[in-house]
Amino acid sequence: MKKAYFLILAALMLSGIFASPGMARDADTLIVVQESEPVGLDLMRSSLQNTMSVCYNIHDTLFFPQQDASIKPALAEKWEKLDDLTWKITLRKGITFQNGEPLNAEAVKFSFDRMFDPEIKSPHKGKLSAFTGIKVLDDLSFEIKTAKPFAPGLYMLAIYLPIVPPEYIKKVGNTEYNTNPIGCGPYKLAKWVRGESIILERYENYYGPKPYYRKVIFKTVPEETSRVAALLTGEADVISGIAVHQRKKILESGKAYLTSQMGVMPYLGINTYEPPFNDVRVRQAVNYAINRELINKALFNDKAILCNGPISPRTFGHAPDLKPYPFDPAKAKALLTEAGYPNGIDVRLAYPTYMSQIQEQAEAIAANLSEAGIRAKLEPFERAVMWQRYKAKKHQLYIYWWDDAPEPDRYMYSLFNSKSRDYYYKNKTVDVLLDLGRTIIDRSERAKVYNEIDRILYKDAPWAYLYVIPEVFGVSNKVFYEGDRDGFLNMRWARPRT
Amino acid sequence: MLRYILKRLWHTVYVVIGISMISFFFIHLSGDPVLLMLPGDASDQEIEELRGQLGFNDPLYVQYVRFVSKAIRGDFGESLYYHVPVMELVIERLPASLELALAAMVFALVLGVPIGIISAVRRGSMLDMGGMFGALLGLSMPHFWLGIMLMLLFSVQLGWLPTSGRGTMAHLLLPAISLGLSLMAMFARLTRSVMLEVLSLDYIRTARAKGLMEEIVIAKHALKNALIPLVTVAGMQFGFLIGGTVIIETVFAWPGLGRLVVQAIFSRDYPLVQAIVFVLSLLFVGMNLLVDILYVYLDPQISYSEEK
Repeated sequence: MKKAYFLILAALMLSGIFASPGMARDADTLIVVQESEPVGLDLMRSSLQNTMSVCYNIHDTLFFPQQDASIKPALAEKWEKLDDLTWKITLRKGITFQNGEPLNAEAVKFSFDRMFDPEIKSPHKGKLSAFTGIKVLDDLSFEIKTAKPFAPGLYMLAIYLPIVPPEYIKKVGNTEYNTNPIGCGPYKLAKWVRGESIILERYENYYGPKPYYRKVIFKTVPEETSRVAALLTGEADVISGIAVHQRKKILESGKAYLTSQMGVMPYLGINTYEPPFNDVRVRQAVNYAINRELINKALFNDKAILCNGPISPRTFGHAPDLKPYPFDPAKAKALLTEAGYPNGIDVRLAYPTYMSQIQEQAEAIAANLSEAGIRAKLEPFERAVMWQRYKAKKHQLYIYWWDDAPEPDRYMYSLFNSKSRDYYYKNKTVDVLLDLGRTIIDRSERAKVYNEIDRILYKDAPWAYLYVIPEVFGVSNKVFYEGDRDGFLNMRWARPRT
Repeated sequence: MLRYILKRLWHTVYVVIGISMISFFFIHLSGDPVLLMLPGDASDQEIEELRGQLGFNDPLYVQYVRFVSKAIRGDFGESLYYHVPVMELVIERLPASLELALAAMVFALVLGVPIGIISAVRRGSMLDMGGMFGALLGLSMPHFWLGIMLMLLFSVQLGWLPTSGRGTMAHLLLPAISLGLSLMAMFARLTRSVMLEVLSLDYIRTARAKGLMEEIVIAKHALKNALIPLVTVAGMQFGFLIGGTVIIETVFAWPGLGRLVVQAIFSRDYPLVQAIVFVLSLLFVGMNLLVDILYVYLDPQISYSEEK
């Protein structure tokens, strides 16, 4: 008898424990799994990708940035250029924050000023430093000024200036705002159980297109195998950070697919200040030694776009006449010999360990280089050490990346203008052209300047140009989501797949 | 006894100060978080400004004194990344760590000790060999691999258990087993060897000679004496389990302290690292003290009051 009780009890417990894990949710809920948890939800205070991804669901900016670096109306309804230094911007009428606070020109001014508040320590303020200030004209319109003409200005506002509610922030303070934000985006924060999940609910008074999913839950799973397992069991609808070797598993599962939009542009940086790479021929040899096509085929299923210069082939301003450096180890060897290294060279190749996809590329590149006589010793570094060594000019060859930004100024100025960083390369002509490029408002005239920069850097080879690779989010077959070039997980665009 | 406890508590203060000092200087040696907090194109002026704001330009000992004087008042500062008081973060994560550690420990003890006893009592039998082979297997399997294998089997293939996260009993099962299996194997082996030793002692022979049932001899007479080394090891292991489960926490996305401290170290979040190290060292020292006190109840021969 006792035994029978025990068996019944055990069966009850097991049935409770083994209740199917992925099923207990409604079709109106979308579950997104990232590799790390946001550090806060105040978009102004963090430049971490996984943090910003969640924030863009809660916060809106003045404009929707487009894939071709143009903008479309968002909170701002219309705008006009008064002169080369001034824009007049008018907001949509009747927009409210998620707490009911009205969105007006004062809120925009408050948000702009907050960006430069020392207490906020905003990592984005440099991106908006071209602007000198905002003058409120009336309830819905304001003027925003720059010190010099700044062509990418509105696009920068579209990415980096979330509009936040002044009254609420004054009431709760910055610390509370970071964990309990109110925005004017399509989703509002319902609950954040730190370490576990962030639950967002659709903001029903949102002014823009209504998102399909009523609820979006962001979760964190740091281990890549576990993330893929969650996608395949139906516990997750969208996952980020997929390692190269996991792609096949997803594709063959029949349960999920990989997004087609691309976001990451890795590059092989070269320390041009020191031998042997102070000789342009050696730098070009590196470019000839890499078999981009084979790497693309082997690692990215032929989905990557090969780069022919520093400006992504999809980005406005790239020089269309350039062709990617062909794979030519013989030519690489000849260039090395010409530069005085007939027996090849021994070099160090540093790469960061914290991003999936990088290790395999580093190994492939090192193998290519050694065939051409450039014997590279791999140096994997964790994030902080990699960055510190980078800034201290200690790398010789290094792999880093940028997102496939549609606006060339957003990364070209940061990476190649010596006023921004001159750790491994400096070129006065490029400096002048980059300063000029951001001041030309006419798009086609502006493109010519960036074409020229692209050509100069192609020849001078301060990087080995690689490819733009799929940012690869894994998405359940039940959901349609393409991803964006900037790589943020903006779930307002997700919907059921039909 | 009370005197002994007070003395041990006083020692705890030294230990915690020592640990805080070591962790403070080591984490500062590992580099500056300011570069990580700002984007790559931040100007030198911006970097210096932030460094000054955070007080990193002061000499290290000044920073340490500032840290200690605040910590004494219970203020461990604000996380450089989360921008919330670090103790709040630690306290949020602590229950998850305790829950997992406790579950793994219960699993290990409930299975490990009986296996060890059976192996000892049936020494040389197939049961003994099977038990010890299983224990060896359990000890040799890396947590990481085991966790993923269990997940692939029970979550992906069979669909019985969730892959990751925390919330229900079902969420706890796989991480607790992955974490507890090697511990279980260790307990089984330890119990077996201690029991074998105890079972060969004279008083057990006497007990048997008195005509006591074998079950009583084992459960009452032998096991109680075998418990002392078990309690020592379990106590120490529990301390390790609370902070040292990073790998299992990572595989199963378990929101515990281990993962938090690793993230904090990678991002050079000094105040957070300090707070976690402080709490973990307190827990560890506390567990040790508890084990020492338990000895008195387990073995009447041990008495701390005689130490005077």
